Amino acid sequence: MRITQNMMSNLFVRNIQKQTEAMLQRQEQLVSQKRINRPSDDPGGMARVLDGRSTLVAIDQYVENIKQGKSRLEITEMTLAQVDDLVQQARKLAEVNSDAEITPEQRALAAEKVKGIYDHVMQLANSRFGDRYMFAGYQTDRAPFARNANYNATYHDSPPATPDPADTGSFQIPIADNVKVSVDADGRNYFGDGATGVFFELQKLINGLENTTDPAAGTAAIRTTVDPLEAAHVQIMNKRSEGSPKLYRLEASEQYWTHFKPMVMEAMGRDEDADITRVAVELNNLRTAYETSMAAAAKIIQRGLVDFLG
Amino acid sequence: MTQLFGLLSIGAGALLSQQRAISVTGNNIANVNTPGYSRQRLNMETKLPMDTPVGPVGLGVQTTTVERVYDRFLGVQMNNESASLGRWEAQKGALERVEVVFDESGGYGLNQTLSDFWNSWQDLSMNPSGTIERSVVAAKSQALADAIRQKYADLEQAQADIDAAVTSGVEDINRLTAEISDLNQKIASTESGGTVNANDYRDRRDLALKQLSEIIGINSFEDADGRVVVSVGSGRVLVEGGNTYALTTPTALAPATNAGHVDIEWPGAPVPISSEITSGKMAGWLQTRDTKIAGYMRNLDELAQTLATGDPIRPLTKSSVNTLHAAGFGLDGSTGNDFFIGSGAADMEVNPLILADPNRIAAASAAGAVPGDARNAAAIADLRTALTMSGGTFDDAANVLVSQVGHDVQEAKSYQSHQADMLAYLDNYRESVSGVNLDEEMVNLVKYQAAYNAAAKMISMGDEMLNSLMNMVR
Repeated sequence: MRITQNMMSNLFVRNIQKQTEAMLQRQEQLVSQKRINRPSDDPGGMARVLDGRSTLVAIDQYVENIKQGKSRLEITEMTLAQVDDLVQQARKLAEVNSDAEITPEQRALAAEKVKGIYDHVMQLANSRFGDRYMFAGYQTDRAPFARNANYNATYHDSPPATPDPADTGSFQIPIADNVKVSVDADGRNYFGDGATGVFFELQKLINGLENTTDPAAGTAAIRTTVDPLEAAHVQIMNKRSEGSPKLYRLEASEQYWTHFKPMVMEAMGRDEDADITRVAVELNNLRTAYETSMAAAAKIIQRGLVDFLG
Repeated sequence: MTQLFGLLSIGAGALLSQQRAISVTGNNIANVNTPGYSRQRLNMETKLPMDTPVGPVGLGVQTTTVERVYDRFLGVQMNNESASLGRWEAQKGALERVEVVFDESGGYGLNQTLSDFWNSWQDLSMNPSGTIERSVVAAKSQALADAIRQKYADLEQAQADIDAAVTSGVEDINRLTAEISDLNQKIASTESGGTVNANDYRDRRDLALKQLSEIIGINSFEDADGRVVVSVGSGRVLVEGGNTYALTTPTALAPATNAGHVDIEWPGAPVPISSEITSGKMAGWLQTRDTKIAGYMRNLDELAQTLATGDPIRPLTKSSVNTLHAAGFGLDGSTGNDFFIGSGAADMEVNPLILADPNRIAAASAAGAVPGDARNAAAIADLRTALTMSGGTFDDAANVLVSQVGHDVQEAKSYQSHQADMLAYLDNYRESVSGVNLDEEMVNLVKYQAAYNAAAKMISMGDEMLNSLMNMVR
C-alpha cells in the first residue's frame, strides 16, 4: 500500500489523542477517587448509586426518628413510675385511715398528704415532651388536666376547645418505609377523665378524710376508695407494660439500620469507588505507551529522502 | 526535414516536457499539506512517428494532460461517512452540555433535594407544632422547586444554544453551496473543450462537498457538463445547473412539535424540511433538540406535575402533595391551600401564602385536632414510597432521568468514536491513493532533472554538429 507523510503524521496524532484521552480519564478517577464522575461513565451504575444515596439519607432519618421515639418512651416510663409510687402511697393512706379508730386530727393530716399527692399526680399528668403535653391527645398545646377548688378534675375542659370524644391522639414514630410505632397520648387512658380513674378516687378519698360532720360516712367513703385505687395502680402498670415491647422494637430497628447502613455503603462503593491501585497501574502503563509512541514518531516523521540527496 | 534539425526539435520538445513535469512535481510538493489536494501527474506520450526509408522514426515526446490521481467512488463514500460522523459529533457535543445540568455530585441535584424534602416532612410529622420544623419544610420545599425550575431553564437554554448552532450551520450551508455552484461554472467552462482537466477546481469542489456533507447529509452526482447536482432531504435540490437554492431558518409555529425553535426551510414552496434531515451535524442538533432534550423536559414536567403543581390541562386533578395538603388543616385552622403552585417544571413554586406564614402548612387531618395531629404530614412523608410514576416512586423517576441522560451521552460517544475510526480509515485510503509522498516526488525531481540535463546535452551536441557542418562548407 502506498504510504505518504500525511498518513504517518495523521496516525501519530490520532494515537496521541487516544492515549492522552485515556490518561486523562484515569487521572480524573485518581483525583476524585470515583469510577463514576458523570452519568455517562456508567449509566446503570449511576442509577444504582443514586438509589443508594436516597436509601442512606432515609436510613439516617429513621435512626433520628427512633432516637426521638426512645426519648419519649423513656420519659413516659419515668413519669408513670413516679405516678405509680404516688398512687401506692395514697392507697396505703386510704387503708390506714379506713379504721374507725383514727381520730379526726389524724384524718385531717392524712387529707393534707392526699391533697399533696393529688397535685403531684396532676403535675405529672401534665408533663411535657419538649414543648408538647404528652398526655393531651392532639391538643398538645394545652395542659390536659385541671382541677377546681373542690378537687374536681377535668380533661381538656377549658374553653374555647371542647375535647373531641374521638380525639384519641397518638404519637407516631416512623421506623421504616410505611411502618410506624405508635405511642398512646390520650391522657384518659392513663388517668381517667375526672368522672372515673385516679383523680376521681383521690377526690373521694380527700372528701372522705375531711368529712368531720359524719365520721361514719367518711369511714365508709374512705373504704370504697381502696379497691379503685388498686385498680388505678393496675391501669398505670398496664400502660407501663405497653411501653416496653415498643421500646424493644425501637431498639431492634435501630440496631437493624445501624447494621444495614454499612452494607448499603459497601454496595455503593463497589459501583462508585475507583480501584486506586488498578487505576494507578493503568496510568503508568499508558504513560509508558505514550512516551514510546512519541519517541517512535519523532524518529520517523522527521526524516525524508530530501535529507539524503546531495 | 533533415535529421539534424529534427534532433534540435526533439531536444526542444524534451526540454519543454521535462520542464513541465518538474513544474507539476513542484506543484505537488508545494501542496503536500493542502487539505483535499490530489496529487497530479503529467501524462506524456510519443509524438506521431515519421515515415522514413528505414521505417517509422519517433519524433520525441509531447505532453497531453495533467491528470489528478483520485478514486471517484471514494468521494461519495467519504461524504456519507462524514455526514454520519457530523451527526454523532453534534449529538455528543450537545448532550454533554445537558449532562452537566444533571450533575449529581454537588448536593444540589434532584436526588439530594428530593431526599431533603421527604425528610423535612417526616420531621414535621414527629413535631407538627414546631416552628423550626415548619420553616424547614418551607425551605426544603422551595429548594426542591428551585432545583427543578433551574434544570428546566437550563434545558431550555441548551435548546436555544442548538437553535443558534442550527442558524449558523445553515449560513455555512448556503456559503458552501454558493461556492460549489461557482466552482461548477469554472469547471464547466474550463473543460468545455473536452481536452483539459480542471484539476485544482475539482479538488476544491470535492473539499467543499465534504465540508457540506459534514454539516448536512447530501446526495450528489455529476451531470454531463461536469457540474455537480447537490440535494438534501427527500430530493430538495440545493445546487443545480447554474442555480442555487438557499435554505432559510424561520421559527417554527405551533402546533409543530418543534414550535418556538428554529426550523429549516427549503425555498421551493417554502416547505420545512427539518424532519427529512437524517445525517450531518444538522441531524444531530435537531435530533438532540427535538427528541432527546424535549423528552427530558417532558419527564421533568411530569415529575413536577405529578408530585407538586398538578396538570394545567386537567385542572381538577391535583398533584399528590396538593391533594393531601388541601384536605388538611394548618396550625391556624386554614385549609384548602395548595402547597405548590405553578403549571409544571417551568414555574414550580411553593405557595407564597405558605412561605409568608408556615403555620398554614397543613400537618393535621382534622379541624379540631390541631396542633398535635400530624397524620397529614405523615401521609405526605409517606409519598416517598408511593408508586406514582409509571409504577415507580418519585425518587425512581428522578434517578431514571439522570441515568437516561447518561445512557444517551454514552451512546453518542460510542457511535462518534466508531464513526471517527471509520472516517479515519477512509481518509487513510484516500491519502494512500491521492496523497503526496515527498520521497516519491524527490525521486521524480531527480528523474526529470536528469532527463532535462540529457535533453540539454542533446541540444548542445546537435548545435556542435551543426557548427561542424557549417564550418565544413566554408
